[in-house]
Amino acid sequence: MPPSPRARRALALALALAVVAGGVLPAAAQPRGEPVKIGWISELSGTWAFFGATCFDAAKIAEEEINARGGVLGRPIAVLPQDNRTDPAQAVAAARVLDSQDKVLTLSGPTSSDTALAVYGYAEQNKVPFVVPVAAFPRLTRPGTQWTFRVEPDAVGWGYAIVKFVEKQKPGGTLGLIYSDYALQRAITAGIKHQAERSKIQVVSDIVFPQGATDATVQAAQLKTRNPDYVVVIGGGAFDVTITNQLLDVGFRPAQFIHPFGTVKQILGWGARSVGSYYGTFFDHSLANLNDYARGLIEKFKARKGYIPAYIENFCYSTVYLIKEAVEKAGSTDRTKFRDALRAIDTKEITTGIPIVFDKNGARKEYMYFMQIQEVGKDTYRSREAFYIEWDPEVIPVYQLAP
Amino acid sequence: MDALLLIGLSVVTTGLITGAIFALVAAGVTIVYGAIWLPNAANGQFFMLGGLLVWSLVTGWGMSPLLAAALVVAASVPFALVLEKGLIRYFYDVPDRNIVYLVVTLGLAQIFAGIFSSTYGRWTDNYSLPAAWPGIVMIGPFPFPKTRLLVLSIALGLLAGLFVFLRLHRVGRALRAVFQNREAAALRGVNVRGIYRFAFVLGTLVVFAGGTLFAMAYSFDLTAAWSMAIVAFAIMIVGGPGSVLGSVVIGLVFGFTQAIVSVFANPTIATFSYLVAMLVILLVKPSGLFTR
Repeated sequence: MPPSPRARRALALALALAVVAGGVLPAAAQPRGEPVKIGWISELSGTWAFFGATCFDAAKIAEEEINARGGVLGRPIAVLPQDNRTDPAQAVAAARVLDSQDKVLTLSGPTSSDTALAVYGYAEQNKVPFVVPVAAFPRLTRPGTQWTFRVEPDAVGWGYAIVKFVEKQKPGGTLGLIYSDYALQRAITAGIKHQAERSKIQVVSDIVFPQGATDATVQAAQLKTRNPDYVVVIGGGAFDVTITNQLLDVGFRPAQFIHPFGTVKQILGWGARSVGSYYGTFFDHSLANLNDYARGLIEKFKARKGYIPAYIENFCYSTVYLIKEAVEKAGSTDRTKFRDALRAIDTKEITTGIPIVFDKNGARKEYMYFMQIQEVGKDTYRSREAFYIEWDPEVIPVYQLAP
Repeated sequence: MDALLLIGLSVVTTGLITGAIFALVAAGVTIVYGAIWLPNAANGQFFMLGGLLVWSLVTGWGMSPLLAAALVVAASVPFALVLEKGLIRYFYDVPDRNIVYLVVTLGLAQIFAGIFSSTYGRWTDNYSLPAAWPGIVMIGPFPFPKTRLLVLSIALGLLAGLFVFLRLHRVGRALRAVFQNREAAALRGVNVRGIYRFAFVLGTLVVFAGGTLFAMAYSFDLTAAWSMAIVAFAIMIVGGPGSVLGSVVIGLVFGFTQAIVSVFANPTIATFSYLVAMLVILLVKPSGLFTR
């Protein structure tokens, strides 16, 4: 039934009052003035486009939330994207534009260690703060680092955590390694091999594939003949799914698999056959300790992108909040004060409550969850927490193991 | 003993399946090069397009992988015709057109790569299809996924069909005549321009077929396009440009070389071992193994 003329008049009056009030009354929560700019150098095209795009979308959600709640120091926060095309040279060019033209407070955004290392060089040389959300190569926080802070634990440390997990699951057990020849994978396996000796875990097989490999049938059969208790699978890109399937084909059980990391698309790619296998992560929608921010991120991200966020999206989202908090602690947008505020920060990740403290090199106090897959559907999955560990960034000599 | 048999059978099946897919893609490339002198640098992107379209139909529309693959291969015909009519035909009479075509198709490859990375590349970092034929067949101690058996059978069937067509069918023989001597073929009444168009369509269709089969057998990502482009060119050069038989034989040689070497050496050496095979063959016969 259409509203009566009287009801329509009342509605029009209410709307007019609302418009007038909006224009006259001070908008207490609305940030004003020059935005606090974050230069977001991201892989929006090229081979790493999925990671860059998914990360940027999560950062935008944080930006919108922060601005809706009053911004930072009463000013809006602005995440300014630059596409680095998954190319280190382009990443440096983007850093230069954001630094000299846009006058950003800080750089952030890369999800690839290669592009992050390129930006690292620029940031350290030009004294621009650089907060790395997702890039795990240890060199990003090598000794002497002054302007760079990394939110994601380093990859050599992941190797340490994996061995600690195996040690807990099966003391004195055996481990097979099968991985692609990328810097990330080499760093993880360096950590595994180093810690395995100390934890009395035997590495019985070390199979490394070149980039671009597509088939692992023969190697899966060879690995089967060695029969390790656990297999660490780290293929590059889609090859990770191929290796996983081919290992399952030759008779490995899912519960023997440990994937050092699991993005949503990766886990969906492993599929229902992988129920029972383990993966490392830093955030997962299946975790029990999620707060309102985490639940909000999951809902908003799913509504926007059609899939649930995982650790990459969480780090990108949390990084924007971390920058906001450091600006508030600095009380200004002076780069040196902001850098000093980050150095001194002792806070908790906004979604998980896990501590964020940086060491003298900008490396974060590290942690990792190991999840066991319970169910994989077409668009989502469910896991359970099997193990959690925290460690100091230099619990093993990370900078010697992945120089 | 079982361990040895397991590894031996894994070598045979891997050699066959990778070799057959290599051979199929290389055959498509060599048909186009043999007829038109068109070294299609975009063949890897065509291969990728086939795989991505199948993935889209299966994951987006819920289609069965086999039906999706058939539709995509059929769709490659109008795709190739449009490309031939809108671009390729304009260079048929250009002197030294193979260089022109190389540049033009390199441009095409860049355009397709850019489109893929800014669309598919932002949706996911890996493309996996459900099994077209779920389950495992035990060959002795070796478990062989039925989907791979299916892919292998289709790939070998397509290669055999292609071979028979080129040998026995009137159009296939005309195509081979153009491969060998286009002036003489024209004098014998062959419509050379018509054969050019047909060769481009057939070659593209075969490359698409390779891409769809690869997508059914393996998870893939966008990097597979460049890898496959290089392998296909290498096979064509070693097998002899324009020789489908050469593509088949060398494709299988490359597939088996990789599989066998990977038993004794690490996968990095195995993956590049076919390049050594290529150098050895070219040293023995620089014009390619099956060149007439």
